[in-house]
Amino acid sequence: MSTIASDDELGQMISRIAMGDRAAFSSLYQKTSPKLFGVCLRILRQQAQAEDALQEIYVKIWRRAASFAAGKAAPMAWLVTIARNHCIDVIRARRPDPVDIDDAPAVADERPDPEAAAVSAGEGRRIDMCLEELDADRASAVVSAYVEGYSYQELAEEHGVPLNTMRTWLRRSLIKLKECLQR
Amino acid sequence: MSSDTTAMEPGPERDIALAGEYVLGVLPAAERRAAERRMEEDASFAAMVESWQSELAVLDDHFAPENVPPAIAARIERRLFGDQGARSPGLWGSLAFWRGLTLASILVAAGLAVAMSGILVPTDDRAPVLIADLAGENAPIGLIAHFNSGNNTIHIVPAALQDDGGHSLELWAVPGDGVPRSLGLVPHDGGLIAIDRSQAEELGEGVTLAVSLEPSGGSPTGAPTGPVLLAGALQ
Repeated sequence: MSTIASDDELGQMISRIAMGDRAAFSSLYQKTSPKLFGVCLRILRQQAQAEDALQEIYVKIWRRAASFAAGKAAPMAWLVTIARNHCIDVIRARRPDPVDIDDAPAVADERPDPEAAAVSAGEGRRIDMCLEELDADRASAVVSAYVEGYSYQELAEEHGVPLNTMRTWLRRSLIKLKECLQR
Repeated sequence: MSSDTTAMEPGPERDIALAGEYVLGVLPAAERRAAERRMEEDASFAAMVESWQSELAVLDDHFAPENVPPAIAARIERRLFGDQGARSPGLWGSLAFWRGLTLASILVAAGLAVAMSGILVPTDDRAPVLIADLAGENAPIGLIAHFNSGNNTIHIVPAALQDDGGHSLELWAVPGDGVPRSLGLVPHDGGLIAIDRSQAEELGEGVTLAVSLEPSGGSPTGAPTGPVLLAGALQ
């Protein structure tokens, strides 16, 4: 496998792809396709579907390169976002959530968090510190939703709670997480 | 679109949670589409989504790289570039276009010689002139662009390019942010492109100039749509 390219290099490749540079596209594919294929396999869990998804993802990258604003998003994060969004769309279409999700209340837990004020995380791994402020099972729901592409239905089954409870949990967790990230 | 979203009924917390749900990917398909429509119409909601995306991107470490079956690369190139692209991957530029491009060779040679001696190029002696040598991997010719910051002009040598009928050559600047800005079409009959001051202010040493092949009259979208034939940095 080729060496990991820096974000600077990837950003330049994407800018050149935006200008229609096929050689840059080919380099970007070589540098980044193993990672994005990892995303596809993790979320879709089937080789053939993951291969199809990878194709669609690079077609999107070619077509959307002009919308990549260097400096605004990190190149690798931008690429993974395209990959995750595509894979999640595929599984949501494959397994439509049959259950009607009502609007579970999104009220933040009022419970004061004594440790929260004391935390001052370094940039970068800040999300980890903020996840630690959540109850362990709620933090793991956030991470597994992101990494495995679980639907609310699947999360509810895994955690053994009704779907609406799951949604309330997750929304509260997100609001707490955001409060921590913004501190 | 509301100018004061914080005063709106559903409340900012609900939006923050919804943006997070969208980025996590937990929403059913219909709600995902609704969130995407909202992103297009509501800039503050779109900003919340972007913020979650960059914050949660740290979790991308959980995705381990996997070996990609080699056949996929060719399939993608065929999808995007047709058979020709698949047979010669990485081919940069359109050979058909270059074959159709008529160069008045004598004029070219003369033009180059004159340009090299600096006689033809309209320069203000006191104004700095930056030069970009524009070249492409599969392009049989190169162009030289002289940017004169004294009178905000770019002079392209050789100038004697002839349209093959359905295409135009468009000149772009790619400044530090990587977003190409059109500087105008490369004229067929004379190599001088006048640019306005705001365009000129973005040009400087190290800024890449590039020439792309566009539909006649230039890119319809404001961004390059065709292959980049030539590129080089101002020096």
